[in-house]
Amino acid sequence: MIKAEPRTILSFLHANFDVVKDLFSYQIADGLITKEVYDMLIQKHGHTMNIRLREFRVVRSMGSDYEMRDVYYKLMEFLLFEFKPLLPETIEKYKTSISELYLKIRKYEQQDRDILQERIKNLSHQVREFVDLVERNTFRLLAETRDLKSNPERIEYREKVHKASFWIEYYILPLNRILDVKHSESVTSTILDVSEYANRRRLDFADETVRVEFEKLYSQLVQTNTDLLRQSKVLVNELLPLLERIRTESLILTGWIEFLRNPYKLATPSLLKGTRTMVYAKDMLFKVREFFEQFAQAEYVTVDDSPVDFDKWIFDREKFKANLTASLPVSDFFGWCKNELRKEFPDIDTDKFFALCGLLFDQDLEIEFNNKGERTTLETNTSMLSLPKIKIDNAIKIQ
Amino acid sequence: MVYPQHHRQIVEELMTGKFILTNEEHFGSLKENESFYQEFFKLSFDLDLHLKNEYAYLLSRETQENFSRDVSIFIAIMSYELDKDGRNFMEALEFNEFTLEEVDRYFDNSSFIDLIESNKALRDPDSRRTLINGMHRRNIVHKNFEDRFSFTQAHKLFVEFAKELAMKRITAREVEV
Repeated sequence: MIKAEPRTILSFLHANFDVVKDLFSYQIADGLITKEVYDMLIQKHGHTMNIRLREFRVVRSMGSDYEMRDVYYKLMEFLLFEFKPLLPETIEKYKTSISELYLKIRKYEQQDRDILQERIKNLSHQVREFVDLVERNTFRLLAETRDLKSNPERIEYREKVHKASFWIEYYILPLNRILDVKHSESVTSTILDVSEYANRRRLDFADETVRVEFEKLYSQLVQTNTDLLRQSKVLVNELLPLLERIRTESLILTGWIEFLRNPYKLATPSLLKGTRTMVYAKDMLFKVREFFEQFAQAEYVTVDDSPVDFDKWIFDREKFKANLTASLPVSDFFGWCKNELRKEFPDIDTDKFFALCGLLFDQDLEIEFNNKGERTTLETNTSMLSLPKIKIDNAIKIQ
Repeated sequence: MVYPQHHRQIVEELMTGKFILTNEEHFGSLKENESFYQEFFKLSFDLDLHLKNEYAYLLSRETQENFSRDVSIFIAIMSYELDKDGRNFMEALEFNEFTLEEVDRYFDNSSFIDLIESNKALRDPDSRRTLINGMHRRNIVHKNFEDRFSFTQAHKLFVEFAKELAMKRITAREVEV
């Protein structure tokens, strides 16, 4: 029992708020206040502090350590908005308590009036606690998620993926199931049933005092349904997409960082290798190959080095020119050529004949073309030639 | 035989390694005739057609494809630098327009400078412009002006690659633990 006046306690809290706040912080961090921490605080603030903390029942011993009493802990939680998110399993217990009270109210509504009123009040209290916890949880989850998004502690992307997945799997989705009014097993749907029942009974219950209780409960539940709907919207429309985005973003960045650590050792998405347009024919390769293949498969060739009897006659220009000069004047140059060749060979070879004709182009000779169109006929080994008669005078041009 | 609408355009574009995007007219014809084209590319060229909700492309058997690796490094560094800059990189890749100057700034100030300088397609502004032009030819980016571009839906192929890589690594680590 606390002997001190409530004002005295509040006054102590006001004067020593920082000490209580420190105790609260240690309690949050470690789940208790270790003896070392407590002794250090007492040493700093004096022995009277120890007496007051125990007298006002702020702390209690836990073996050799200490812990902050629940009422102060909750007060500090509320004042500092330092709520620790509760696992939805903890919140879900309200479904059982609310359902059981609702069942008993309906079942025994015509029995003892006092117990009925107490049950209605208790039901109202349970609903209030439930809504309070949901609000605190949503608020805390939102704060945690925004922290995760802004990432002031610079936690790694992989850790972010893990945290976001953790919040979604263990907090957001179960909490959403608790709040989902369409789900018959959700706490919200039970509250809606209670609300409909209270609505009827506030109008038709025989006892006026109970009717007033039902009226109060109904008003509270109408407000509760609005509040829960708002919380559900925050979860579905803001918290879940935000966490999903953090998770996806962080996952992709984790992947990119992994890739950039070793970009040449990992297989990247396979794309079709583009074909390049060439300025030459597309089948150039095959044509070149075909060209070279004909040499690769060349037929066997035998070269016969045995001497062959062939005419090694070489036109001796000087000799024939001297002969021509000696014969001048010549009235039929081609006839002269025939006679010259006949002197040496039985038949006239066409090549030899034309070689001899080359004398015509000699600059030293005076050539005269026959205007009468007379021609001479000559037979060579390959052809029958009809040639004009060309006269060569004996007048040698002197350069 | 009657070929599907836009047949020639579909075949020509896919065979040059181009992505066909959901907002293009011939994507509809490709999607409607998915089984025909799967068979067509398989039997004619022994190539696999990948048809996603937002893009389609032909898959190469060539594993030494440098272009894909260069694009992957480019998008990876862009994502990392955009995030470092406090921007939502996924939204930026999907909806934003980038200037070449902005890209140069990110690359020149990147902590992955060793990797950038050792890569022929990324090491200087001219090389990066060539890569961006290559991505434009393949429909991975759309050049809005000479010095501005935005990513098309095809960039999601590379984003999915990063996601799968992360999932593999996370799963592997969980198994190790």
